[in-house]
Amino acid sequence: MTTALVRTIAEEALGHSLPHRRMEDWRWTDLRQMIDKPYPPRQQVTEDVGEVERLLKASLFHGIAATRMVFVNGAYDAAHSRRANEALAFRAEATEPVQMMNAAFATDGAHVTLSGNADTPLELVLISTDAAPRTVATRNLIEVEAGASATIIETHIGEGSYLANSVTEIRIGEGARLDRVKVELEAREAIHLAHAHVTLAANVTFRDFTLTSGAKLNRQNGTYTFLGEGTDAKISGAYLLAGKQHADSRLVVDHRVPNCASRELFKCVMDDHARGIFQGKVIVQPHAQKTDGKQSSHALLLSETAEFDAKPELEIYADDVACGHGATSGDLNHDHVFYLKSRGIPEAEAKAMLIAAFVGEAFEMVAHDGIREALGDYAARWLTEHRRAG
Amino acid sequence: MLDINNLHVKLEDEDREIIRGLTLSVKPGEVHAIMGPNGSGKSTLSYVLAGREGYEVTEGSVTYKGEDLLEMETSQRAAMGVFLAFQYPIEIPGVATMQFLKVALNSQRKARGEKELSTPDFMRLVKEKAAKLNVSADMLKRPVNVGFSGGEKKRAEILQMAVLEPSLCILDETDSGLDIDALRVVADGVNALRSPDRGMIVITHYQRLLDYIVPDFVHVLSKGRIVKSGDKSLALELEARGYAEFEKDAA
Repeated sequence: MTTALVRTIAEEALGHSLPHRRMEDWRWTDLRQMIDKPYPPRQQVTEDVGEVERLLKASLFHGIAATRMVFVNGAYDAAHSRRANEALAFRAEATEPVQMMNAAFATDGAHVTLSGNADTPLELVLISTDAAPRTVATRNLIEVEAGASATIIETHIGEGSYLANSVTEIRIGEGARLDRVKVELEAREAIHLAHAHVTLAANVTFRDFTLTSGAKLNRQNGTYTFLGEGTDAKISGAYLLAGKQHADSRLVVDHRVPNCASRELFKCVMDDHARGIFQGKVIVQPHAQKTDGKQSSHALLLSETAEFDAKPELEIYADDVACGHGATSGDLNHDHVFYLKSRGIPEAEAKAMLIAAFVGEAFEMVAHDGIREALGDYAARWLTEHRRAG
Repeated sequence: MLDINNLHVKLEDEDREIIRGLTLSVKPGEVHAIMGPNGSGKSTLSYVLAGREGYEVTEGSVTYKGEDLLEMETSQRAAMGVFLAFQYPIEIPGVATMQFLKVALNSQRKARGEKELSTPDFMRLVKEKAAKLNVSADMLKRPVNVGFSGGEKKRAEILQMAVLEPSLCILDETDSGLDIDALRVVADGVNALRSPDRGMIVITHYQRLLDYIVPDFVHVLSKGRIVKSGDKSLALELEARGYAEFEKDAA
């Protein structure tokens, strides 16, 4: 990486080198080429309260989440929040370019400690308002204490043209349960680069669901590290992409201890010229016997020009494990469409039903009824609105 | 109600004709059985009537309730009362049977300018019809046909028919894969739907089904055309002599 590359305009403005296709993890998402204008960090922006309130209402969980913490352009917005922010005590190391930029540029973020029964959803709303192109960097830390039970939502939403760089560190204590739901609904001209670092102690139950539907360019990294035995993690995601949207998820599930289970399920819908990528790696360390790790990604391509790439990887150093992966990609099943039509359901509605059923499988991983329903409603709306626009 | 006149059909991407000059007229209240060996064009006929893609009509016409059936969208045909009970009902993961039935019924009602059924009214309707066909509440909760046995799939098809109340029922080899008890349940379900204003086309390979669903007319289909028509006794004759005789006539 020491080759002297001439810095691009974007790199000049950021003062950092961007990842590019010759780096294996970034082969499908060459940020050096794809970020073609400057997004300078730490810009002062005066926001319009009306716009903030409009964006808050646009959250899928407006009215569902009982507690809310709002960050506008990278700063805590006490007026719109219903929970005080704690002092940030970030620990995750920055080891790769996008994370290093986050470490350098982050202005604020949520620090939340969850204890006891915290099942009434807490929503973190990260808003970027319409202003000159710039980097908005936030850093969140969520600590779930031993034995606690919690549901947390992360909504990323905005207007205009910006680069959101978000890192969330999650530490889950022994015997705790955490349901995390992340919804990426950034503005269609925005870039969303994110990292989630999750560490799991013993006997944890963890559910992580991510909906990816906003931004023109999205790259989400997730690392899930098993530190205690008897832990179960289900990581799922759904893409609803159209136009020229590009979304790339790279997950690393690291089984460092025996007797844990991980499941990954991604259901990705791409229309028009959209491109979806799923890279999932499962590592089973030498002592991590009896690991049960499976991942699968399924793509539904609604147009001839949509694209999906999957790269599953298994790195197994233990001998008594059950691991596997599967990936499929295709268009709607014509027999299914015909069957629904033959019962009187018009074609557009038949297709919408089948697409909703396809992504619905990933929504099923979300335990909270209200959140799951809100996701289903969004999918139905996406289908009609984007189809009408198309 | 249905007038098929000199119908010729081929596969879209193949030149060979599958239906070669078929003429058939079905009036309200009549049950027509179409019998024929494999490859005679039975399933193609049912798919063309229901509006499946992949077939090309090269000649002839199909008039249904005074309108050109071949010009109609598949869902429009269903709303006008055409129902095909599939030989192999399709499994649709992720779509709950009840939701599917409700959307289907209300889409049809909407297309006909009728008021949509409320959820309680719909539930009542389905429960009542399901009980008669031994369709359990558990089956209705599952996704459409997913994990159903062969017999359950056929009963579910007849349940759909009972709920949607079509005016033209096309049963494509409804007897295939059924044991005698399941066959009886399905036949009872079909017989319960016989009415003076409803026409039926029962497509089958074997005479057995016609012991239970007694037809008014029997037609022998061979190489894409009807080679002989008669009453129910023709089915018995066919069973005794086999299809070979008729194929000779057709050649």
